[in-house]
Amino acid sequence: MRRAGADAARIARALLARATESLLVVVALASLVFFALRLLPGDPARLVLGDEAGPAELARVRAALHLDEPLLTQYARFLRGLATFDLGDSFRRPGVHAMARVGDALIPTSELAAVAVALGAAAGVTAAVAASGPWLPLRARAWVERVLVGLAAAPLVAFAPVVTWALAARARLVPLPGDPDSGAAGLVFASALLAIPLAAHVGRIARAALAEVARAPFLSVASAKGAAPWRVWLVHALPTVVGPIVTVVATQLGALLGGAVVLERMFERWGLGTLILEAYAARDLPVLEGAVVAAGLLFVGAQALGSAAHAAIDPRARAGR
Amino acid sequence: MTPRARRLLELLPLAVVVGASAVGAALASEPAGRLEPARAWCSPSSARPLGCGEAGVDLTSLVATAELRAVALAVVVALVGFVVGTPLGAAAALARGRLERAVERACDLVQAFPSFILALAVLSAVRAPSRVHLGAVFALTAWAPFARLALAQTRVLREAAFVEAAVALGRGRAGVLARHVVPNLLGVVAVQLGSTGAAIVVSEAALAFVGLGPRDGVSLGGVLDQGVAAMLRAPHVLVVGALAVFATSAAMLVAGRAAERRAR
Repeated sequence: MRRAGADAARIARALLARATESLLVVVALASLVFFALRLLPGDPARLVLGDEAGPAELARVRAALHLDEPLLTQYARFLRGLATFDLGDSFRRPGVHAMARVGDALIPTSELAAVAVALGAAAGVTAAVAASGPWLPLRARAWVERVLVGLAAAPLVAFAPVVTWALAARARLVPLPGDPDSGAAGLVFASALLAIPLAAHVGRIARAALAEVARAPFLSVASAKGAAPWRVWLVHALPTVVGPIVTVVATQLGALLGGAVVLERMFERWGLGTLILEAYAARDLPVLEGAVVAAGLLFVGAQALGSAAHAAIDPRARAGR
Repeated sequence: MTPRARRLLELLPLAVVVGASAVGAALASEPAGRLEPARAWCSPSSARPLGCGEAGVDLTSLVATAELRAVALAVVVALVGFVVGTPLGAAAALARGRLERAVERACDLVQAFPSFILALAVLSAVRAPSRVHLGAVFALTAWAPFARLALAQTRVLREAAFVEAAVALGRGRAGVLARHVVPNLLGVVAVQLGSTGAAIVVSEAALAFVGLGPRDGVSLGGVLDQGVAAMLRAPHVLVVGALAVFATSAAMLVAGRAAERRAR
């Protein structure tokens, strides 16, 4: 009984530490945006209005964005706004809450990222199992590894447009960029592009982890009891390497979000990336701050989800043992 | 193959990329980025080997200049990251305890951080990002992989007999770090120079692609952006831009391996 109590306390402490850290990441990102706009040389009000603005207009913008208050007061207002999800109205579209626009854009980007993670993890694990098990000849297995190394280093911004050109413009297999009726096919194609580097990273790490457990006694026991190779690798070996897979997905999430911005821009898809770029071009400061914070939240949220999934699948990951 | 020949071979791709760009930029009859609407989107020809892009910009001189600038930016930022990160990671591992854990955790966070979003956020404070701005933003995160590697390697080194001997002989922590630890890390850490350089070439192109490039438009990302816009009309622009990004980043990666062998 005492043991269970200690376990629960340890889990609670670990969760609390994790939540504090996630919160710190979001606040640090938000503060960086806040201070970059206000402390770097250049007047934010002039950035919004351009060089030809008169003093009366500048004063009006400063008042509307609270730029005339002391910096600490502004910062306190900003943090309170974050905590209550209310950063004021969009500067370019008066009457529309900045956070409403952000929430609107968060859904398509989450869809894109989620489908990409699912596709990338599935493809990477498939490649790793294919390169580990007895199905392929040795030479083919070595080739799978080489392809994974090459793909992991391939820059998305270079290959995504070329693949799109080949498949959309030449072969007409997938919708063209900016096609408003692309629907589900467009989502899957964009996610598949985003999933390629992720799949390569997952494949490499999973392959290395599987190679380590390949000679473990429990796999020989499973084979000796008559389990088919697919059963040995998928049911017995794979769950033990979930930890490294979750870790590599988590470390690639930042790059995945960056890739999502590039692809949203390329395919002219609505989402967080398009919103950030639009707010950047229009200098809509409340929307820009909100969108960057939302991207940070998406990032830490997905990381937390990943470690929860890891704990659910691998009992060794529970309670920090 | 001798190690020396091998190292030269690994530096060859970067030398070819830089050399070809220098020749392309030097032979250009006009400044990079000059517009000539009459020849917009013209196909590659003997006079213009890579063809023309939007509003008749000559791709040969544009890509050559953009490549030289991207390589220069990548080399500078990677070296800054190397110079800041390596001693930081080594010092943290020598100090052990709380500092070691803090630096390790900070590296993990910075490496997994959405650095592209971070760059967008910081660059939104300036009207048109210059290369100095870009370099500063990349340097914010470039130190982390170097520190992480140095930390891991120093953990091994700090148990080594020669390090213990230096401590026993009364050398201070800074002296041990500078004379005994850092020189022995360089081989492992140097390979990261190539990966960081390649990542910066790609990030710079990606930022310019989404519209946060230098105002004069001389960037590989700008070429890719033109290529996507004219995908159906002039596919050569897209292919030229993608190949340039690919070749430059791959050359950086391979050159990093030469740096690793040299330092060993």
